[in-house]
Amino acid sequence: MSIRLQLLIVALTTLILPWAGCQYARELETALRVSQERALEASADTIAQALSAEPQRVFRDFDDSEPFAPDQGDLYVYPLHGQPLLDGYREDWDVPADPKLLPSASGAATRLQAGSTERYLFLYLEVDDPHFVAEPVGARGSSDRFDRVDLNLEGPDGTLKSYFFATDAPGLIPAQIVVKGEDGYDRTTTETRIQAFWLQTSRGYHLEARVPLSLVGSRLWVQTHDGRGGVSGFAVPDPPRGGRLFMTTPGLSALLGIFIRAGTRATVVDANGLKLGVAGAVGNTPSDENAEEGTWYRGFVTVDTSSWPLQIALPDRVVGKSVAAALAGHPAAEWLRAGGNQELRLQAAAAIMAGDQVRGAVVLEQAGDQLLELRDRALTRLFNLTLFATALSVLIAFGVAAVISLRIGRLRAAADGALGRDGSIRLDMPESARHDEIGALARGFERLLGRLNEHTQYLRTLGGKLAHELRTPLTIVRSSLDNLECEGVRADQRGYLTRAREGVARLQSILSALGAAARVEESIKQAERVRFDLKELLTSAVAGYRDAFAGARFELDTPPDECLMRGAPDLIVQMLDKLVENAVDFCPPSGTVRVRLGRAGGHHEGHYELSIENDGPPIPDAMLERLFESLFEHRRGRDEKPHFGLGLYIVRLIAEFHDGKVQAANRADGGGVLFTVTLPLI
Amino acid sequence: MRSAIGYHSNAVKKQIAIVEDEPALRENYAAALARQGYTVKTYGNRKVAMQAFSTRLPDLAIIDISLEDEAEGGFDLCRELRALSAELPIIFLTARDSELDAVSGLRLGADDFLTKDVSLPHLAARVAALFRRIDALRRPQSAAQIVRRGALVIDAEKMQTTWNGAPVTLSLTEFWIVHALAKNPGHVKNRQQLMDAANVVLDDNTITSHVKRIRRKFLEVDPAFDAIQTVYGMGYRWVE
Repeated sequence: MSIRLQLLIVALTTLILPWAGCQYARELETALRVSQERALEASADTIAQALSAEPQRVFRDFDDSEPFAPDQGDLYVYPLHGQPLLDGYREDWDVPADPKLLPSASGAATRLQAGSTERYLFLYLEVDDPHFVAEPVGARGSSDRFDRVDLNLEGPDGTLKSYFFATDAPGLIPAQIVVKGEDGYDRTTTETRIQAFWLQTSRGYHLEARVPLSLVGSRLWVQTHDGRGGVSGFAVPDPPRGGRLFMTTPGLSALLGIFIRAGTRATVVDANGLKLGVAGAVGNTPSDENAEEGTWYRGFVTVDTSSWPLQIALPDRVVGKSVAAALAGHPAAEWLRAGGNQELRLQAAAAIMAGDQVRGAVVLEQAGDQLLELRDRALTRLFNLTLFATALSVLIAFGVAAVISLRIGRLRAAADGALGRDGSIRLDMPESARHDEIGALARGFERLLGRLNEHTQYLRTLGGKLAHELRTPLTIVRSSLDNLECEGVRADQRGYLTRAREGVARLQSILSALGAAARVEESIKQAERVRFDLKELLTSAVAGYRDAFAGARFELDTPPDECLMRGAPDLIVQMLDKLVENAVDFCPPSGTVRVRLGRAGGHHEGHYELSIENDGPPIPDAMLERLFESLFEHRRGRDEKPHFGLGLYIVRLIAEFHDGKVQAANRADGGGVLFTVTLPLI
Repeated sequence: MRSAIGYHSNAVKKQIAIVEDEPALRENYAAALARQGYTVKTYGNRKVAMQAFSTRLPDLAIIDISLEDEAEGGFDLCRELRALSAELPIIFLTARDSELDAVSGLRLGADDFLTKDVSLPHLAARVAALFRRIDALRRPQSAAQIVRRGALVIDAEKMQTTWNGAPVTLSLTEFWIVHALAKNPGHVKNRQQLMDAANVVLDDNTITSHVKRIRRKFLEVDPAFDAIQTVYGMGYRWVE
């Protein structure tokens, strides 16, 4: 695994930051949720306390110790927000509930709904009585048979009054009341303060009635009679039970409005959970663009709310655990999902007390989306920040890795190239000036190479030193032999002397070969550079070789123009000597030594190319590279005398002295070897 | 000076001093030269030699460059000997063979510079040649031994060389090389032939540097000198 990859993985571990951020955000959200619950609970409790101090402003003064019992005629009066038109239609009431079916033994199906404004009580009746029986003129209320609606009303003073609505033609009608006259007869008079609109429909009739609140006490019963004698609705019980009006206390909504803040809805319910007053609205903040943008990772961070209970929205009452708990005396809060959008909503409730009795509760509702939005905003920022941090750290890690691998790569390249093929050692390592581990490594390399270099130098000079040291004893032997010969030896001893001399001669040639490299290097150092014509030199030299090597055939191929170069002609000749000598050695008797001079192309542009080719056997590839090393003996020539390879080493030294290069290659056909020297043009 | 100390005729045995720290070699050289009829004195170091030379100068000195613990004791000795006598023939004989040593030795006024590779008969020949040169200096010139090539005059007898009448001081090896080249002008002499003529065993490089030095010495007396021509791959020739 490359360092780059390793550091990338390390850098990716910073992705734990967003994860930790999510965890943190969730905990934060939970904490916020709890604190919001507490705050709302506290608000609800405060309002409840305040309302407990003024129960007369909350509750109409009637006995509601009995539970709300619609089946016994108890009626919930919806608060109306505008003054409805008396037209027999309910559409302008804006009440989301349907009218309630009244119990009926024999009469037509009758549905009733009540509503109230600040001044009036409104009643709405639907009677499925398609057979209209008009009120005859001068009819006697209770005995005659015609379509009639009875309204029994307990006045604020507790007196019971019985009104009825009947008409000979649909339209706006007043209520009628039967009063006992002074004469003892029942007489029917109109009560113009109570107005109604009788609307005939295909299914029956609608009646929309308006009663001033000043006439209304705490109980009310409605009955309908049809022309055939059927009766529907609640009769007036005796003693009166049921028929209670559960209605909004006037002024309560306005009072509640003082307590609440924007975005909160406060509802006061009575002990039955019926709404007595409502103020404010749950603010649904419009979703902004940020939330939309952040959606792709919301999946990672949202708290699962799908298991939360759905809010049941009823027009007349508030239900739920928190309300139930509050009515039992314990303030409580709960999270709900509301509506089709599954908006989060927090509901908190607290009990309104009268003495030690729970008379109702204050319910506060708030949108939970504010919290979500808060969390989302925090998370978005957190996410963006951590993503940025991750990207940055990945980038930095990558950069650091790139720099490190670049430096190591440089060091590796230098280490690869430190030891040349020719055994030369480059001592300077890149990075060694840096004060870090890589620098230390580079310095370690330098020390290693330094020691290696000392050793190589020792080995390189060992031959010369050895030759020098061996020279004196060899001279002693040879001069002793000389003396011995001059003193005169017996003829039979002369053979030994000759052999000793031959041995000495061989030793001497080996020693001079050993020392020669050092001598050549020294003489190369002292060489002077002059301008000369390489072509002329070559022509003259090859002519010399033709004389010197009578047995060999030479071919010379030179360009027509003169080939000026700068260098030491003596050294060039010496180099040629070695190359030609070598070529002649390995060239078979019938072969030709070809000497060619030309301009080099390719990446040797700007150089002369001097090649010497023989028809000798090819050199194994492994040896081609090492051919120019000092004291490399690769084969024996025709003369069977040992070659110490110094010749080609000298060739290389001379070529390098001239900033040139020498290389050997086998001819493609395998029938010869080609030595090529490149030398720079002037 | 020489007359005060030295010899007057061939009848007196010539005395050769060998300063060499290697006893075996010293004795071998001494034996070989004694066989040629010379009186040989041997010394192991510079101090002993100098002591002896201060009382009596030899007729010829053969000096090793490194003497015991003095790596360049031979050079010092040569300098001191030259101070005593400007004309005493001195031969450096050394295991060293570097160009630098040869140049230093010859610049100090040595007459010849031989490596220890030289065989005893060669050494004897060199010694004889040096004596011959010195003897010839005091005899009247005989025309037969004189080679004239234009501005060059070589007296083989006295082993003296002049160019345009100005003397060119050549070492023995150099003298023989010039002699061999000038005797047959126009003929190319290869390195082997020059070595044979100079009676030395040298490698090619040394011949090259000898020739270089010869040219430099002639150039000192005549900046326009170019009579020795290099024939690449073959050798050198004298051109008139």
